[in-house]
Amino acid sequence: MLRAAFTTKPTEGGRRWRRLFLLLGGVVLLYGLLAPLTSLDALQSAGFPLLADKLWFRIATATAMFVVLASAWNLVGGLTGYAAFGNVAFFGIGAYTCGMLISRAHWPLFLALPLAPLASAAFAALVGVPLLRLRGHYFAVASLGVGVAVGEVIQNVEYRGTPVFGGSTGLFLPIFSVDNRDLVFYFLMVGAAALTIGVTWLVLRSRFGYGLIAIRENEEAAAVMGVNTTAYKVAAFALAAALTGLAGGIFAQWNVFINQENVFPIEYNVQMILMALVGGAGTLFGPLAGAVFLYMLIQFLSGSLPVSLDLPFLPSDARPVLAQVILGLLLLVTVIFVPRGVIDFFGGQSRLSLAYLRRSLRETSV
Amino acid sequence: MRSRSSVLLVVAALLSFACGGTAGTGGTSTGATITFGAPLGLTGSLTKESTLTQQGYDLWVDWINQQGGINIDGVKHPVKVKYYDDTSSANQSAVLMQKLITEDKVNFLLGPYGSAATATDAAIAEQNQVPMVEANGAAQAIFNQGYKYTFGVLSPANKYLQGVVDMAATLTPKPTSIFMLSADDNFSLEVANAVRDYAPSKGFTVTLQKYKNGSTNLAAEVQAAKAANPDIVMNSGHLLEAIAINKAAKEYKLNSKLFAYSVGPSTPDFINSLGKDANYVYDGSQWTPQVKYKPSFYLTESQYVDAYHKKYPGAGDPDYHVAESTAACLAFQKALENAKSTDPKKVRDALAKLDVMTFFGQIKFDSRGINTYKPMVVEQIQNGQHHTVFPTDVADVKPMYPTPAWDQR
Repeated sequence: MLRAAFTTKPTEGGRRWRRLFLLLGGVVLLYGLLAPLTSLDALQSAGFPLLADKLWFRIATATAMFVVLASAWNLVGGLTGYAAFGNVAFFGIGAYTCGMLISRAHWPLFLALPLAPLASAAFAALVGVPLLRLRGHYFAVASLGVGVAVGEVIQNVEYRGTPVFGGSTGLFLPIFSVDNRDLVFYFLMVGAAALTIGVTWLVLRSRFGYGLIAIRENEEAAAVMGVNTTAYKVAAFALAAALTGLAGGIFAQWNVFINQENVFPIEYNVQMILMALVGGAGTLFGPLAGAVFLYMLIQFLSGSLPVSLDLPFLPSDARPVLAQVILGLLLLVTVIFVPRGVIDFFGGQSRLSLAYLRRSLRETSV
Repeated sequence: MRSRSSVLLVVAALLSFACGGTAGTGGTSTGATITFGAPLGLTGSLTKESTLTQQGYDLWVDWINQQGGINIDGVKHPVKVKYYDDTSSANQSAVLMQKLITEDKVNFLLGPYGSAATATDAAIAEQNQVPMVEANGAAQAIFNQGYKYTFGVLSPANKYLQGVVDMAATLTPKPTSIFMLSADDNFSLEVANAVRDYAPSKGFTVTLQKYKNGSTNLAAEVQAAKAANPDIVMNSGHLLEAIAINKAAKEYKLNSKLFAYSVGPSTPDFINSLGKDANYVYDGSQWTPQVKYKPSFYLTESQYVDAYHKKYPGAGDPDYHVAESTAACLAFQKALENAKSTDPKKVRDALAKLDVMTFFGQIKFDSRGINTYKPMVVEQIQNGQHHTVFPTDVADVKPMYPTPAWDQR
């Protein structure tokens, strides 16, 4: 069954849901883009109300970062159907590329940043050729191995007794010295997120994208039909790596300090996949919705959102632990009941979607 | 927005109530509560150390609130610490740090546990110009960034075995050669390189031999040490490596006069797994419950140990994680008293000028913000017990030296 989100023909009810969703998304997007501007000193002194403080910036920037990670994973995991568990390696390589160039070679950020995605993509192309010959569990395990190994290598490489990449101490970048630096990183990360969504949109309507979906549905058949499967897979892998590396590069300067623990966290691997799955792997906006929803959920449970509810059955000191449990449960529920993600839930054709429910209700009541 | 302003209103109301309630009592009045913030890994991989850190902070909070609070220019300000669980993730620690500063509007920051979290949070403290005193990151790199708002109460890594070298220089018959084994991680190398650079000035020759971090088979390294026949065998590594070296030393009859390991012997696990073979071993420690400093305020060492037993019955003696965390609070207390203000910049300046003696030792920061003035103490295991043997003015017993040969123990 060759079917991507954009080829689905939503029902009448589904279309209404989708329109509502897009409208809602538009409002959120507009707020997201305009609210930060109120924190400019000029607007502050002109008496505009402050809609975004530094905490908002940190959470919003991190959310945009996860949109990049989940959407980029989607290119490999969702479209091509290869369960990559090591994408965090590309994030780390991007971060260390930027980190080394800025802290050691004293490059300005905007010169160093373009090299982060290039380094990640080059690495992905290199390891992609042997790695993408594997399939299923073998590919998942091997990619996880790469994700862990890269971090270890970067931490331990030495030249004449001195760690090349800062060793276990990590790298300190100079603090980015502009006013409104939170604003800069926010727009950089949102830009990266928009770029990732845009790239996915382009891929979804290109011959390349059809080829990837063909590989996902049946790789042998795709090869027979004339798809150069190796080239397509490696290209998708490298594209995902480039976007992930870009986010890593921005992260390095934003966070000021990077080390193995910071930029190769194994939980990012899990989270980006979960976000894509919960939102709807293989779709355009699914990973975005999943990333926003899950990151907000994690932050809500850890108590860092300005809104906090006092729920008697959810004592605040147990919430961070519960976050892990809830993430696990979500994955379970998603995979079993909503395998095509929440995007599909509103208006898709899955038997568990609202649209299907309404449709069948209507049919049975007639 | 609405929820935040209403919270502010409630806080303001409470504060005015608090002030009004005590105004009539005369004498020192009660000021606004001073809030400290700390993200800690209360769940996740750093739970143990983070909990010890929290115990250290809480011990001081209880004590200072019993006194009525921090005395700032005649007004006593009660103290509160706001904790968040960062699930042992440095990236989450950063979000919560920002939350503490922006939303909770804490006055000051206490450090998290773990060097990655500490480094990340130091950058945030710097960008927001809120002073942070940390007690759990001995790596010097954090303090080489020119940050003005981060202070560390620990002796830096390069001091870890310096105390052992100083002590060895006073022993008779004087040892002259050191065989230095070191794991190849950054912290261990920093410790080992410091010995290699420092010991010659005390009349020692040093041979440095590195091994892979995490090795538990160190027979080859120990045999190399035996071939060199040194007076002193040192190891800069971790608990498991220290145990492996001690076992191999016995097996290959490496009979040196002094064995000293940077990390490991101070933990109960070392004695439990080696039994009487753990005797005579030395280590460098940030603090021990036996030290005898002459604190100018707060508790003495024995009072501190008692207070810990009372608050955390069944937890044993407080280890150095607890003590150094309390010391971070003490630094803030004195700095606030000296600054006579809660203004972040004035408190920062007061921290920079601080020079006090506490139960933890001297707290005084160099220009980078790290406490290079406190010496490491040297511990020795004697008859299965930890004892402090150096510096002599804080020691409870004399070192047992030289270490007898393995077949004569």
